[in-house]
Amino acid sequence: MLIIMDEMGFERLLKICRLHLTVEEAEKIRKDLEEVVAYFGVLDETDTDGAEPAYHPVEMLQLIGDDREKEFENKEGLLSNAKTYRFYLVGPNV
Amino acid sequence: MSSISEFYEKDRGEDYYNRLIEEIGGLNGKLNAFNAIGSISEGFPFSVKDNICVKGIETTASSKMLGSYVPPFNATVVERMLKKGFGFLGKTNMDEFGFGSFGLNCAKPARNPFNEKYVAGGSSSGAAVATSILKYHVAIAESTGGSISTPAAFCGVVGFTPTYGTISRYGLIDYANSLDKIGIMARSGDDAREVFDVVRGSDGNDATCTDPDYHDRNTGNIFVIDELTNGASEEVMREFSRLLDSLAGKGYRIERKSLKILEKAVASYYVIATAEASTNLAKYTGFKYGLKNDKFYQKYNDFFSDARENFGIEAKRRIAIGTFVRGASVKDRYYVKALKVRRLIINELAGILKDGFILNPVMPIKTPSIEEAESLDPLTSYKADMFTIPPNLCGFPHVSFTYAYPDGMPIGAQLTAGHFDDYALLGFLKEWESGFKYRFRYDIGAL
Repeated sequence: MLIIMDEMGFERLLKICRLHLTVEEAEKIRKDLEEVVAYFGVLDETDTDGAEPAYHPVEMLQLIGDDREKEFENKEGLLSNAKTYRFYLVGPNV
Repeated sequence: MSSISEFYEKDRGEDYYNRLIEEIGGLNGKLNAFNAIGSISEGFPFSVKDNICVKGIETTASSKMLGSYVPPFNATVVERMLKKGFGFLGKTNMDEFGFGSFGLNCAKPARNPFNEKYVAGGSSSGAAVATSILKYHVAIAESTGGSISTPAAFCGVVGFTPTYGTISRYGLIDYANSLDKIGIMARSGDDAREVFDVVRGSDGNDATCTDPDYHDRNTGNIFVIDELTNGASEEVMREFSRLLDSLAGKGYRIERKSLKILEKAVASYYVIATAEASTNLAKYTGFKYGLKNDKFYQKYNDFFSDARENFGIEAKRRIAIGTFVRGASVKDRYYVKALKVRRLIINELAGILKDGFILNPVMPIKTPSIEEAESLDPLTSYKADMFTIPPNLCGFPHVSFTYAYPDGMPIGAQLTAGHFDDYALLGFLKEWESGFKYRFRYDIGAL
C-alpha cells in the first residue's frame, strides 16, 4: 500500500526528527520516504504468525557487567571535545 | 606464508616508513583512500575505518557532525592490534556513518584504484582502496549491510565479515547496533586469518561480544540460491557461471535452491537499519563530540536541530525513514514485522548453511562508474545491496573474493557460512588462492 504523507504529516515527522530542511531537501526526502515506505509494504506479504522478533541475529549470552563505577583514565581527553567550564561540559538550556 | 610473516622476514631499511607515507600521500590526492595518515614507525601497517576510534587521531565517520572529534581512547580492536605489534597507518575514508554502497556519501569520495572513473564501493571505500594499493597492509573495516563485501569486490581484495558478535565493537561509532560487525580486508585469506586471531574474543566493554566454539565445517556443498542471483546482469551471471564450473571442477557439489523469503530481506534490513540509525544519531547534539555549536542561549530543541543541519542528505533521509517506521501507530507494522521476518530468514538460511556454503555474486551489477552510481535514486541504490544483505541481516560470516577480471576490472563473489563457521570460510580462501592469483595495479611499500 502506498503511503501518501500529507503536508501536515510530513511536517510533524520532521518536527519529531528535529530536522530543519531546506525546501529542496524537504521535497526530495518526502518523495524518497513515500517510495521507500511503500516498498516496505512487501513485508505484509509474509506470514509471521508465531515468529519471535529477532532483536539480535545471534543469540546473546546477556553478559552483564558489574554494577560498579569505573574510572575513565583520560577525562581531560574526553572533555577536550567540548566547551568546558571548571571541568564541566557547557551545553544549551534544557 | 602470510604477507605479515613475509614482511617481518624482509630487510626494510631505515627509511621504509617515511617512504611509505610519502608515496601514500602522493596517491591519496587522486584516490582519497585516507581521511588521515598517521606517523607509523614500526610494525606491519594497518589502517582503521574512520568510524572506529583511535586515541588522539581525528575520527569523523566522514561526517561534518564529528568534525574535529578526537577520541580519548582506542577501540578494543585497535588496542589489540597495537599490542600485537601492528603499526597504525591511518584512518580510511567511508560513506558518512556507513550510509551508502558506493562510497559517494562523503566530502571526497574514494576512487577505484583500477580505474579512477569508477566507484570504490561502500561504505568501507577507503579500506578497500588502501588494501588494493599497499603491498603490506591490512584494513580494519566494518559492515552493516555489505560495507565490506562490496568495496572489497570492486577493488579486488579479500573482505572478511565475521559472525556477528565475534569482534568487540567497543569504540565503534554505531550505525545500527544489531547489524554492525567489525571485519577485515586483506590481500589474502591468510592475512585475514592472522588478524582475526588477534582481534576476536570477548571484551568486558562490549556485552554483545562472545567467545564461541568455532566450527570449521566444509562439507563440499555449495548452494546457489535463485533469489541471490535473480536480477543480476547478464555479464555478472556469465562470469559467475564460469566460477561455478571452476568450483565444480575442484570437486565441489553445486546445488541450486529457491528461498522466496529472501525477497523480503532488503525491506527487513532497511526498516531495522534506519530505525536503529535514527536513534543512534540522536547522540550528536552539537556540543559533546567535536562539532561545537556555541549558541548556548538557544532552547535545547533549537540548538539540537541546528546541530543536525550538519548531517549529509543521506543521513537526514535515514533519520526521517527510521523515525517514521518507529512511530507508535506503525511500529508493529514495520519495525516489529521486520524483526519477525528477520527471524524467519535466519531460520531458513541456518537450515541450508548446516549442509554447506551459499555462494552468490557480491553485486547484481559490475562496478559502476561514479557518474552511473550518482544517478541512482535511493530506492534503486538500496536494492543494489540485495545479495549482500541476507548474511548481514542474519549475522552469518561471509567472505568476498575476486574470481575474474573482465575488461581489466575485478569482479567478486560472496561465500557465506553458518554462525561461527568463520574458519571454514578462511580455509576456503586458502584453497581458492592456491589456484588463483589476485592482481593489483599498485604495490606501494613492496620490498
